Amino acid sequence: MTPILLYTDPLVEGYIILITGLLIVFAGLILLTVFFKYGMPIMLYIYKVITRGRDKKVKDISPKVNQDFTGEIAAAISVAIHLYLDEQHDEENAILTIKQARKLYSPWSSKIYSAYRNRL
Amino acid sequence: MTKQKTMKKVILIFGILSLLIFIKPLLGFSSNATNTTVSTSVSQTESIVEKTFVDEALDGIGEFYHFTGFANAQSGHIIMILIGIIFIYLGIKFDYEPLLLIPIGAGVMLGNIPFVAGYQTGIYEEGSVLNYLYFGVVKGIYPPLIFLGIGAMTDFSSLIANPKLMLLGAAAQIGVFATFLGALYLGFNLPEAGAIGIIGGADGPTAIFLSSKLANGINVLADGTTVKNLIGPIAIAAYSYMALVPVIQPPIMKLLTSKKERLIRMKPPRAVSQKEKMIFPIVALLLTTFISPSALPLLGMLFFGNLLKESGRTERLAETARTKLIDIVTIILGVTVGASTQADVFITKDSMMIFGLGALSFVIATAGGLLFAKFMNLFLKGDDKINPLIGAAGVSAVPDSARVVHAEGIKADPHNYLLMHAMAPNVAGVIGSAIAAGIILSFLG
Repeated sequence: MTPILLYTDPLVEGYIILITGLLIVFAGLILLTVFFKYGMPIMLYIYKVITRGRDKKVKDISPKVNQDFTGEIAAAISVAIHLYLDEQHDEENAILTIKQARKLYSPWSSKIYSAYRNRL
Repeated sequence: MTKQKTMKKVILIFGILSLLIFIKPLLGFSSNATNTTVSTSVSQTESIVEKTFVDEALDGIGEFYHFTGFANAQSGHIIMILIGIIFIYLGIKFDYEPLLLIPIGAGVMLGNIPFVAGYQTGIYEEGSVLNYLYFGVVKGIYPPLIFLGIGAMTDFSSLIANPKLMLLGAAAQIGVFATFLGALYLGFNLPEAGAIGIIGGADGPTAIFLSSKLANGINVLADGTTVKNLIGPIAIAAYSYMALVPVIQPPIMKLLTSKKERLIRMKPPRAVSQKEKMIFPIVALLLTTFISPSALPLLGMLFFGNLLKESGRTERLAETARTKLIDIVTIILGVTVGASTQADVFITKDSMMIFGLGALSFVIATAGGLLFAKFMNLFLKGDDKINPLIGAAGVSAVPDSARVVHAEGIKADPHNYLLMHAMAPNVAGVIGSAIAAGIILSFLG
């Protein structure tokens, strides 16, 4: 990338960059818009046609997506699932208490054996 | 138990005694000072040694003092440390992007501790630890990693459901180009102005990326002058205005929209299938980088991160990218960008102008988004109409500006939830500002 200075005056160059830059940004995002508005549904439709079952006819396949099922409904369902899964694990009270455990005597842990071992 | 206590006491007394014995020479008592049988000549030499020893110790302390911050502090350091504390305060008290402001605030303090130059301490001294960490900023390594994380945490579905909102993200980029022009008028040269302009993109990583390429203090212009190093001021301006979005945007929103427009309810976005979500990053990656290849590191990583999230097979990678990785990079980036504001480099007229231009660019970008949304409404009918408030989310600042839009919408109508709609221009703004950065880079890089 070498700088291409068309004019020596930076302000003129600035205006050129301003206009071309804005145009390119708009063009880029318009291109994306157009693709996702029209290109994507067509792609998905073609995909549906290609992967259709043998018994299905092409005309049965509708390019329209279900209009009633909105993002809000999807969000509500996912929140509900999330909350439900959260409740799977009951909440601990988060209070730790240390209780004296009753120690069982065992000769394996007894000090008395090691203390008197030398005398044996 | 009592045995243990007495043992402890004995050890404590013994410890104190031994400490006293070790300290004694330091306090100036020679070991035989109490010895009365020593001849006078010996005691004389002893006293001479004593004196010089104390003097040397004092000299040492004096020398040490010259190395301390107290001796080297200048008003600039104090001002910058105060600014750092204000950043931390804003982050904690008002919750303005604390994940950014607290590391940056801490970094500002770190970078402005006064020190004696030449001991590999400061961020601009070659070989210092901070300098090594700063390398990732100077070379533009951290911003793409941040973008990877952003991609892995962003849900583009509201944008896919309503692609026309993409245009709002483009409209807000007028802030970038207007600021660029403003910087030129204020006398900055072209690359510097380009880097300053991107503050209007309201995107910290993009701003750092572009300034590290254009205004890094290394590049040489055609006429032989070296560009200034403006990474610090630009990054600080971008991040602080991003954090101040909840302060800057609402007045402009109120000014440019009528009550009736703020009440517009948009129809809920349609549900987006997983297939569409998977196709989006691939197609968007190809389209945007073909248009603006210079933005490849940013857009490539952004959409790669999103693909990790949406592919459904790489949840582990996506999880790392959006949590651990982005956290690590944010910590290092925040601290080093903060530390790069070393007073002698930072407190200049240029920085003040950059801050002025930065504020202006946010205002222009917000206004651009709002006005374009109103313009779009001229062509839209019925429930297709968009609430112009969401235009303000076209400045990226993800997700803060979308939240601000939501809050303003709630103020007008407590049952109008705009957050989901506002996320669309918000993420489009990220794409738009990265494209804009790529364009500026290809013109001026």
